[in-house]
Amino acid sequence: MTHQNKRNQHATSIPRRRFLQGTAAGLFATTIPIGVTWSADGKKILRARGTADLDKLDPGFYQNSYNVDVMNCIYSKLIRYKVGREWDWELQAAESIEQVDPTHIRFKLRPGLMFTGGYGEMTAEDVKFSFERVIDHDSPIKGDWGPLERVDIEDKYTGVIVLKEPFEPLWNITLPYGAGHIVSKKAVMEKTGNGGDFGMEPPCYSGPYFLAEWKPNQQTILKRNPDYNGPDKPEFDEIRVIPMQDEKTAEIAYESGDIDYAQISLSSLDNYKNDPPKNTTIEEYPSLFYVWIGMNMDHPKLQDINVRRAIQWAINVPQILETVYFGQVDVATGNIAPGLPGHREAATIPPEGDLDKAREYLREAGAEGLELTIDTLNASKWKSIAEIVQAQLGQIGIQLQVNVQDSGSFWTLGMEEEGDRWKDMQLIVNRFSMAPDPYYATQWFTCEQVGVWNWERFCSERFDELNQKAIQENDPDKRAAMYREMQDLMEESGAYRFLTHEATPIVYRHTTTEATLRPDGQPLYRYFRSV
Amino acid sequence: MWLYTARRLILALVTLALAVSLLHVMIRAVPGDPAAIMLGPRATAEQREELRTRMGLDEPPWVQLGIYFSDLAQGDLGVDVKTGREVSAIVSEQMPYTLVLILTAIFWAAAIGIPLGCYSAVRRNTLIDRITGVLSVSVIAVPSFVMALYALLIFAVALDWLPATGAGEGLFNKHLILPSFAVGVSWVGYIARVVRASMLEVLGETHVRMNRAFGLPESRIVFRYALPLAILPTVTLIGVGMAYLLSAAVFAEIVFARPGIGALIVNAVGERNYPIVMGCVVVTTGLFVIATALADLINAMLDPRAREGI
Repeated sequence: MTHQNKRNQHATSIPRRRFLQGTAAGLFATTIPIGVTWSADGKKILRARGTADLDKLDPGFYQNSYNVDVMNCIYSKLIRYKVGREWDWELQAAESIEQVDPTHIRFKLRPGLMFTGGYGEMTAEDVKFSFERVIDHDSPIKGDWGPLERVDIEDKYTGVIVLKEPFEPLWNITLPYGAGHIVSKKAVMEKTGNGGDFGMEPPCYSGPYFLAEWKPNQQTILKRNPDYNGPDKPEFDEIRVIPMQDEKTAEIAYESGDIDYAQISLSSLDNYKNDPPKNTTIEEYPSLFYVWIGMNMDHPKLQDINVRRAIQWAINVPQILETVYFGQVDVATGNIAPGLPGHREAATIPPEGDLDKAREYLREAGAEGLELTIDTLNASKWKSIAEIVQAQLGQIGIQLQVNVQDSGSFWTLGMEEEGDRWKDMQLIVNRFSMAPDPYYATQWFTCEQVGVWNWERFCSERFDELNQKAIQENDPDKRAAMYREMQDLMEESGAYRFLTHEATPIVYRHTTTEATLRPDGQPLYRYFRSV
Repeated sequence: MWLYTARRLILALVTLALAVSLLHVMIRAVPGDPAAIMLGPRATAEQREELRTRMGLDEPPWVQLGIYFSDLAQGDLGVDVKTGREVSAIVSEQMPYTLVLILTAIFWAAAIGIPLGCYSAVRRNTLIDRITGVLSVSVIAVPSFVMALYALLIFAVALDWLPATGAGEGLFNKHLILPSFAVGVSWVGYIARVVRASMLEVLGETHVRMNRAFGLPESRIVFRYALPLAILPTVTLIGVGMAYLLSAAVFAEIVFARPGIGALIVNAVGERNYPIVMGCVVVTTGLFVIATALADLINAMLDPRAREGI
């Protein structure tokens, strides 16, 4: 080896001490989570897709789940939904809660839960105010509180919710959801004067985050509430909810790294599974929505039950789901989704239907060569469903005309107070949202709802009786049996062909976060974990 | 010129009043109930009725229109029934994003379209002229949302050069590049074709031939003498193009999840949120009327013969 080579070797070699220091530093670096989204000032930020922009942050007057997703972060409730795949609840602001008797529920708040803005500690007085204002101010969501009579205060932290009659859905859709959020009496009275709707301007907060900024149609920024001393401390310093109505836009935003969590479309699910974006976890959750083909029983062409049955038997549900939902969803057996009390194992009519049987019913009705219409929303999914039904009914000689309507027109189609359009309505592709209690699914199909939201105009005394009894029944098995019978009655009327409950596929970047969701795939941002 | 300006402004006001009246009648003629949509399914009939009364929907249409114009004269665009916020505040928050988008789109269109049109005219009937022609027609034919999607997939996802969604901080930033390009690129074809046709006409005129006879350089003839004349129809086209670009902006705002007036109108129409729809229509129609009036005034300033039009 020449002198020059020796010099070169010396120049490129690393001293042992430096090598060891470097290795140690490298090993240390590998223990630091590299995926978390850090802001310039070192804060952990979660960027998530919202399905729409906010329009209401008053829990006493809430509308739509995308508002409640944010309310969950900025307010606290007595109880909350458990994270996971099974519907259940656990304590949040309450230290304890018990059903004293069918109409009395005693709760005790955790001491020391503070409102922001100097509005003091959360007390039973605030709970009373938050719940009673829904009834006192005739809120559109007062149905969530059902037969609430009053809230009695026993001491600073303890109170009793008093109902006029038993109301089982209280535990599933009232206390752990929108109407269960607690606001400060003092702050709301100062803000509104009468305790009414404060819209998009919360006067103070009781959750682990506060609303730092709301840029309409752009983003909502929630920041960690320094005063929060309740359970489940948040892991992110900041949550940014970015409204994206279009699922494809959300997918592109996710793939380009603009967001870390998104609900994606079912049409993309297979692609994502086959070729997932880097560092991505894909999860599928069953949804609670229910989609069905409804028939206006009062329309002269559909008054004969044999015609309606012919239509039920002619509709091949798996065929529709395969085409429209890319085979990614299950067939519905009724309007109560799997996992909820009252879900039926099977519908009385097989999902595939039977064309011969359908033709037989049509012959019995003497309605061969019938011409009908089907109304649907002007989005490709719903139009496709209508067109497939059109083809399926064509096989038994029914000519179906598809009427496409925009959302404003569609959602008043069967309402009597909107004129006589309901009289012309025949078939309809419909989809209702749902909360995790079977009562939420059946309440729209009572006789009282005919011409309001019950557009099939199905009216059954037995159904109404069961609906009333099931609300009050606290034996889960008996309650479930009632709801199963109610769905049987709906199907037997011939006015319904249930299609699916859909599904909620979501993606998140597991180097940044671990998503925590409800059993139906709705995000609980407050509990998202940073990685 | 002053008389022409006054006449043009009166015409603009009449156009605005007519457009607002027409839309006021049309949106109420379409089936749909804002109260049912805004209060949600659990509201009672009484609550819906109360909201309709609060929105003035129980009054006859002409009374509603009269009230609207009276409020408008006082600068009151009403209140958004969903959020309870002033419509003027909502529109003024969203409008700058749309305006910036449209103006930047026009910039793209003009910056690419005018030189392309000039070049085609100067190199008439060459291969490049033909290619430019085919390309111009092609970009005119491709819808804006297709452009938007491909721009996203290429520049945001595949190349990761630009952000995919949102508007970022402030109005002018890198978030603006993709949506404005997607909106503006289809207008490139129109501008290129109009400039080309206009240039060909101007280049054939006597004074241009005279310039050539005097031996002036071709670049000077084109840019100094022909282009200022040839660009006149483009000014009008850009004025009219504002309306087209506004509709294209709707797609861009949805696809790029940007704030703006386009997405606001689409949602409000679906929800029959009349105050928002009318507020947006007043402002956008006003802008369109101002843009076309400005285009006409610039034309009249540059070419006195145009003043005889009204």
